[in-house]
Amino acid sequence: MSPVTLLILLPFVGILAILLTPSKYAFAWRLWAQLFSGLAALASLFVFFGFHPGAAGYQMVQRLEWNSELGLAFHVGVDGLNVGLLLATALVGFAAVWVSDEIEKYTKLFYVLLLTMIGGALGAFASLDLFFVYFFNEFALLPTFLMIGIWGRGDQKNFATFQITLYLSLGALVALVGLVCLYALSGANTLDVLVLGAWLKEHPLPAGLQTLIFGLLLFGFGTLVGLFPFHSWAPLGYGVAPTATAMMHAGILKKVGLFVLLRGAFPLLPLGVQNWTGVLAVLCLGNLLYCGWVAMRQKDLNLLLGNSSLAHMGFVFLALASTTVIGITGAVLVMVAHAFLAALEFALSGYLYRRTGTLEMLMLGGAFRQMPFIGAALIAALMAGCGVPGFANFAGELTVMFGVWSVMPWHVVIAAWGGLVIGGIYMLRAIRKVAHGEVGKVLEGKPDVVGLARVPYVVLLLALVFFGVAPGVLVDRIRPSAERVVSLATAGASKTGAAGHASVLNPTSAPAH
Amino acid sequence: MDPISHTAVASSNAQDLAWVVLLFPLISAASIPLGVGRSRALTHAMAIGAVATGFVLSVSLFLLFGFTKGGIHATPLPWLSVGGLKLQIGLTVDTLSTLMLMVVTGISTLVHVFSTRYMDGDRDYPRYFASLGLFTFSMLGIVLSDNLVQTFIFWELVGVTSYLLVGFWHEKPSAADAAKKAFLTNRIGDFGFILGIILVWSAAGTVQFTDLAAKFHTDPRLLGGLTSLAGVLIFLGAMGKSAQVPLHVWLPDAMEGPTPVSALIHAATMVAAGVYMLCRVFFLLDLPAAWPGFLATLGGPSALGIIAWVGGITSLLAGLIAIQQNDIKRILAYSTLSQLGYMVMAVGCAGPDAAMFHLTTHACFKALLFLGAGSVIAGCHHEQDIWQMGGLWKRMPTTSICFAIGTAALCGLPIVTSGFYSKDAIFASALAADRPVLFAVGVLVAGLTTLYMARLYLVAFLGEPRSESAGHAHESGTPMTLPLVILALPSVTLGWLPIGSFLKEMSFGGGHPHYPDSITDILFDPFNHSPLGAVLGLGLIVFGGFVAVSLYWNATVDPLPKTLGWVSTALRSRLFFDAIFDRVVVPIHDAIAALFGLIDRWLLQGLVVRGGSGAVDLVGRGLRLVQTGNIQTYGFLFVIGVAVLVILALK
Amino acid sequence: MTPGIHHYLVVSALLFSLGLFGVLARRNLIVIYMSLELMLNAANLTLVAFSRFNENLNGQVMVFFIITVAAAEVAVGLALIVALYRKRRTADVDDLTSLRF
Repeated sequence: MSPVTLLILLPFVGILAILLTPSKYAFAWRLWAQLFSGLAALASLFVFFGFHPGAAGYQMVQRLEWNSELGLAFHVGVDGLNVGLLLATALVGFAAVWVSDEIEKYTKLFYVLLLTMIGGALGAFASLDLFFVYFFNEFALLPTFLMIGIWGRGDQKNFATFQITLYLSLGALVALVGLVCLYALSGANTLDVLVLGAWLKEHPLPAGLQTLIFGLLLFGFGTLVGLFPFHSWAPLGYGVAPTATAMMHAGILKKVGLFVLLRGAFPLLPLGVQNWTGVLAVLCLGNLLYCGWVAMRQKDLNLLLGNSSLAHMGFVFLALASTTVIGITGAVLVMVAHAFLAALEFALSGYLYRRTGTLEMLMLGGAFRQMPFIGAALIAALMAGCGVPGFANFAGELTVMFGVWSVMPWHVVIAAWGGLVIGGIYMLRAIRKVAHGEVGKVLEGKPDVVGLARVPYVVLLLALVFFGVAPGVLVDRIRPSAERVVSLATAGASKTGAAGHASVLNPTSAPAH
Repeated sequence: MDPISHTAVASSNAQDLAWVVLLFPLISAASIPLGVGRSRALTHAMAIGAVATGFVLSVSLFLLFGFTKGGIHATPLPWLSVGGLKLQIGLTVDTLSTLMLMVVTGISTLVHVFSTRYMDGDRDYPRYFASLGLFTFSMLGIVLSDNLVQTFIFWELVGVTSYLLVGFWHEKPSAADAAKKAFLTNRIGDFGFILGIILVWSAAGTVQFTDLAAKFHTDPRLLGGLTSLAGVLIFLGAMGKSAQVPLHVWLPDAMEGPTPVSALIHAATMVAAGVYMLCRVFFLLDLPAAWPGFLATLGGPSALGIIAWVGGITSLLAGLIAIQQNDIKRILAYSTLSQLGYMVMAVGCAGPDAAMFHLTTHACFKALLFLGAGSVIAGCHHEQDIWQMGGLWKRMPTTSICFAIGTAALCGLPIVTSGFYSKDAIFASALAADRPVLFAVGVLVAGLTTLYMARLYLVAFLGEPRSESAGHAHESGTPMTLPLVILALPSVTLGWLPIGSFLKEMSFGGGHPHYPDSITDILFDPFNHSPLGAVLGLGLIVFGGFVAVSLYWNATVDPLPKTLGWVSTALRSRLFFDAIFDRVVVPIHDAIAALFGLIDRWLLQGLVVRGGSGAVDLVGRGLRLVQTGNIQTYGFLFVIGVAVLVILALK
Repeated sequence: MTPGIHHYLVVSALLFSLGLFGVLARRNLIVIYMSLELMLNAANLTLVAFSRFNENLNGQVMVFFIITVAAAEVAVGLALIVALYRKRRTADVDDLTSLRF
């Protein structure tokens, strides 16, 4: 059995263990969850460091025929695109389980749902069959709604649940239509990216169809990521979600949408890529600037973090729009980095909420004095969020800017302004209000995290610093895959007559905004 | 395996000692939160040990490699490599970097020692030393960097660590605000810097200084019409760090940090980083002017020209503002601004050697002045207003003497201070670059400098005590006075070394370095070398000193606000720069944010989401009316429906 | 005159219409229930008539099934109505509104 299959199975085994444990031994539910998410974290480390960097193609592949009539197979493997994301998923999942001691009611159900999310996300990243990517993604998404609905907090809980369900279901639906179109119209009778890729090389789809399907996938999965202007579900959703859910969703599930675009849409539909990158290039500015400005406006820490995470996604979209090797490498780097960062941010804000019952920044303050560990970690996380070197986000965003420059210099100017200046403004304001200043009333006498409870924060911080100091470890793994994606995505550029159409939306011709 | 090391690595590995210099402060800083911080003695022993070792090693490195032209590179570490983007962390060991290394580690060591007493009793003592160590590490990273991206990385780290140090007393709102302001203002500069770096990389395909220098040497037009733009963008980074107008607003506020921090960051290191970086990439700035598009038709100035003017304006404005400040640290802050303006102006006048010379001497005497101010503040029970001091020379003799030496050096008193020589080198370069206006500005600022420094000294140290705390002032302990004494020495003597000429020969490829050969030649070198600057400078110093003495000798209140009226008000309000930032730049961003916040709240979340759900709800409400809930009504309708269908079917 | 198929059908239609009217117009559950049975038996009558005239026993077999099921249905239905009456002291459909929104 491939270690990847094992990695996916571990959370589900954990679910089984929890379900089989009667409520007489209720304390064991959390222990099971911790054990199996911990094992998954170890397995992901094994996969990450066992992965042979520099080699192209997929490693640790396993294929189990599921329904040969429909061409569906459980087909998993790792390459540069998902190796870092698998690691991030397992580590974030581990941290999310660990911080969930805040949950007091229906703990059994909570841990089952949380492990479902982890397992689903791992499956989505590892699968090489787009059907399974989608299937696992839905598997991971469904618990989100339930968790926000049952364990959510605040007055806006119902609206937020409603909004997030509406957006994500619609996005998933549009994406599904796209995938079904791809399946039905390609004639390959499969969604396995390897088989389908080879098939489409021989029998490329007409430009119009490619454009249509790519558009469906882009907006469908884009909505799941929070592509401007389909983003407003995210901050509010994270604002009311329980800590672990926000960590998993903002950190991990959001990346699935981007991942599918890189795994499926870009390599399979080169003509679609060329016709849509111009639109994407414009929309990503919405994420970079608009969401940054909206973040400046927020008074609630979680809403600010939610908007800033959208702004970070702007860098990924920008890199996707550029379709350059350096850019795509940077995009994957940003995705991994942001997985750790978002999880850390929401873990910290979750702790503050748990202790104070509010995330209104005016009421907090002095967290660094009152809770030195949480305060320091918060400062570090927010600093990482505004692109300070030493954290992985900086390396990713820097790489993206270098990569995009040759194609869209003006976008880089805007991205730099959004990331360095606007990002700096709202992050530093947050530090100023929450961590610095006099100790706020709601914080007085509230304890810091001590002992083993620090583990999740330390794990996430270490991951951020590790990839910040040595991004080469990750970049060496990403590079061959990024090269493959880019060569496939730009393959049809000269072959077909789509150039005339493409020039309308060509990113290079739309720089000034 | 290592495709990105472009640099020749010599068989001898002594240059790898630079890694030790770089990493020691980091290790000591990291060890403090991991346990060392539990003991105060261990904390500062560890911190001082790390930087002191660094200083010793820096001197050795200078002696080993400082006299080799072009320098040598320590073994680099690959950082990130994809496509044409190859980044590494590498260390340059050459005259420029080892000189700067000695300045940074030397002053950092003295500041560490000074801090053991100054910060004694602070509850966050370990955090203070950890932050100092981190800062030193970041600063050394800039100094040793062998490529632009690494410079940027440590550049940002310096920003962060100085944020931590300025905001050290983070519970104090003013300190927390000042830290935030410093960081954000620097960010604006960094925005330009990173764009400049990307621009250069996209044209040259490398970010290594040595490779870039070679490429631009063979083809000065490599950047085409973007040449000057790239220079200005990179300079924007230096404007942030070295606090040039209009990005200077953070520096005076940053005085909210502990005073030794001001000595380290705002005198010797961080603010000097901008100037150092400009010297490092001087070959990029010194290219023939070329602008894109319509700017070219306007005959835009060269990058160096812009740099020179920004420096000159900064030095003039800051010098003027300093005259009407009353906080001892703020006066020093504005004087730092003014001196930084000098250095930047020197770079702009094609005199990076003069800039580095002045940077070195200034680092010594400004650190001396700041530490002296720290000693005064500690002695006067944290009083910072000079009008609340007075008569300190009786109660704090050592501090007063050292402060007087620092003041003399800053004013550039001839022969006996180092400031005289380095300042004169700047005047000479302005003349050599044929920029008479800037030369005049420089000489005028020399007069202003004497005026405000003499004012400071006369009011704070001479006369009679004007407050309770000044009356009970006491001399500080040895850990605080010793660094003053040590710094006083180079403040006097450093100018006698031909640092400028040496740098010119070693690093900037000057054709005919000029070395004085006898003692009189050394002492009177400026009068021989550039008599106009020396004589005019001397004249203005005497004039400024005269004005100061006539105004402030035994004065109890400042006579200037009365005589100058609104001019004084403007100077006191720091020429309204802060007001402009607070009332224009910040509100613009806030207004945009508010607008988009509204759009997000009402249009997207409101109209689209709530509207969508509202429409569905409305249709539901309408359809509900049809549902009576009476099964017999349904049955009746059903029968009618069936009847209609039957009739239709049978027809 | 021997009765033809149409005689049976007319009677059946009349019975059905009476039943339908009862279901739609009456308010008492018991009466509605009786009317329902009337409609059921109208259908039975038709089936038997067709079976007789088409000389095919399938229809009569079907009727037996229907009678059996109807008997069970009456048992359950009447039990429900009685239970409801005991609980609410009424069998008027207009008063039974607790399942409406």
